Amino acid sequence: MTSIETALQTASAICEAWTKETTIPEASRIDIRVEADDLLAAVQALYDANWGYLSAITGMDLGVDKGEMVVLYHFCEGAAVFTLRVYIPRDDPKVPSVYGIIPSVSFYERELIEMFGIDVVDTPNRDRLFTPDDWPDGIYPMRKDFEHLQGS
Amino acid sequence: MTTAKENEIFRIPIGPQHPALKEPGHFEFVVDGEMVKSATVRLGYVHRGIEKGTENRNWVQALYLLERICGICSHVHATAYSIGVEKLAGVEAPPRAQAIRVLVGELERVHSHMLWLGVAAHEAGFDTLFMYSWRDRETVMNLLEGLTGNRVNYSANLLGGVKCDVSSEQADSIRVGIDFLEERTKHYLEVVTTDVVFLRRTRGIGTMSKEVAEKHGAVGPNARASNVARDIRIDAPYAAYAQYPVQLITETAGDLEARFIVRIKELFESYRVIRQVLDTMPEGELTVRMPRRIKEGEVISRVEAPRGELLYYIRSNGTDMPERVKVRTPTLPNMATVLTLAAGHQFADMPMILAGIDPCFSCNDRMVTVKDEDGDSRNMSWEQMRQYGIERYK
Repeated sequence: MTSIETALQTASAICEAWTKETTIPEASRIDIRVEADDLLAAVQALYDANWGYLSAITGMDLGVDKGEMVVLYHFCEGAAVFTLRVYIPRDDPKVPSVYGIIPSVSFYERELIEMFGIDVVDTPNRDRLFTPDDWPDGIYPMRKDFEHLQGS
Repeated sequence: MTTAKENEIFRIPIGPQHPALKEPGHFEFVVDGEMVKSATVRLGYVHRGIEKGTENRNWVQALYLLERICGICSHVHATAYSIGVEKLAGVEAPPRAQAIRVLVGELERVHSHMLWLGVAAHEAGFDTLFMYSWRDRETVMNLLEGLTGNRVNYSANLLGGVKCDVSSEQADSIRVGIDFLEERTKHYLEVVTTDVVFLRRTRGIGTMSKEVAEKHGAVGPNARASNVARDIRIDAPYAAYAQYPVQLITETAGDLEARFIVRIKELFESYRVIRQVLDTMPEGELTVRMPRRIKEGEVISRVEAPRGELLYYIRSNGTDMPERVKVRTPTLPNMATVLTLAAGHQFADMPMILAGIDPCFSCNDRMVTVKDEDGDSRNMSWEQMRQYGIERYK
């Protein structure tokens, strides 16, 4: 067994209690789906076990038809990438903040708030990071139904 | 600044204007007398909606858009994206193309580190080093121009390969250029580790412990200067890095001096890899055929940019356009971790600490507004703040 597989299996074991579904998109990756309520427990467990580092948080809108958004928490350890996948309803998108565990996520969480309109509950700094000061409230550019692109 | 009363707490906004440079940012420091209490940042002045832009362009158009995220490290962006899309499509670029990706990638790293060395030296008031390192940087930019036709935004990558080949004449000119740069780099390493005045600006300043760097996800030379063994070229070799392995460079001190040493030593590694690629470049095709529509799926592509790990998350819905491209550039985690270091430092150290993370923006004038508690404000330019730092250490 390679070190990548070992690392991924360790991570899967750590998060087993909260895992709703496991997918293996590539050889170097495992994705697990967790409920938004279980996210903090899973992140805390990975952090306590010293498994890799939180490399990025990806937000994604699956569109009006599906009515869901996804937030992906990518943890990296060497070549292994372990992703926590949280599905949230599009009409009430909410995830808990992991700031209490990993304070360097502030930028990523601010990005989720302003680009996707996802409410990151309890994140300390909700100021705009990328959008201009006069950007209208309630307009989230990374949503699929954003219709203000020039030339479109 | 010199008239500030003892124990008076000031908020000092810096930026966002740096008129001549590509990347403005706005910082706010809360200072108590000379000591910085906390720091925050506001970005987005050059946010161009590129991630969104990829969603209504086809796969090929998106490559050229993504390449323009950064002028200095455009090649790694294109490499991360190309490798990711190739994986999704189930094709692999030919070995010669992968070797050329490494070659351009390392030349770009030399360009980027040289630029940073000059900027950081300038912030310390060491303009001689700034001038010399930027003169030498011209050498590597000329080499890149000879190879790809461009000094920046090289456009070496295509989906499925690279557009430019390396002739034996070009290889020879690169060897000559690299020999010259290697001699210069030896000199720079000596300067930054022995110049007493310069060391006062770097040694023991902005120290980041290994634990902080590891836990907070610092990447690239900033992490390696704190003895964190993290380099995507080694951890998860992409392109041809498995054939041309890179030696890991780390330092233990975690201060600004260590960040200088790590970057300069990485230059020697880059020279070695460039020579090795030129000497043993596989023969063959430069491109393979790519489908216009990419089959459904998602991929994570990670590469080592000059500033650290660059992560792309790419998702395809089976059409000729990406469904989602997420880009996490190395400056973001580095900014987050290094800004926490600002607390407890002298205000005079801020230009060096900021420049020390190599944050993709640099040396020109920025406005600094000094506000006291009552909201009265005075203006200070970045130049004045830089001078302030230099005067303090005289």
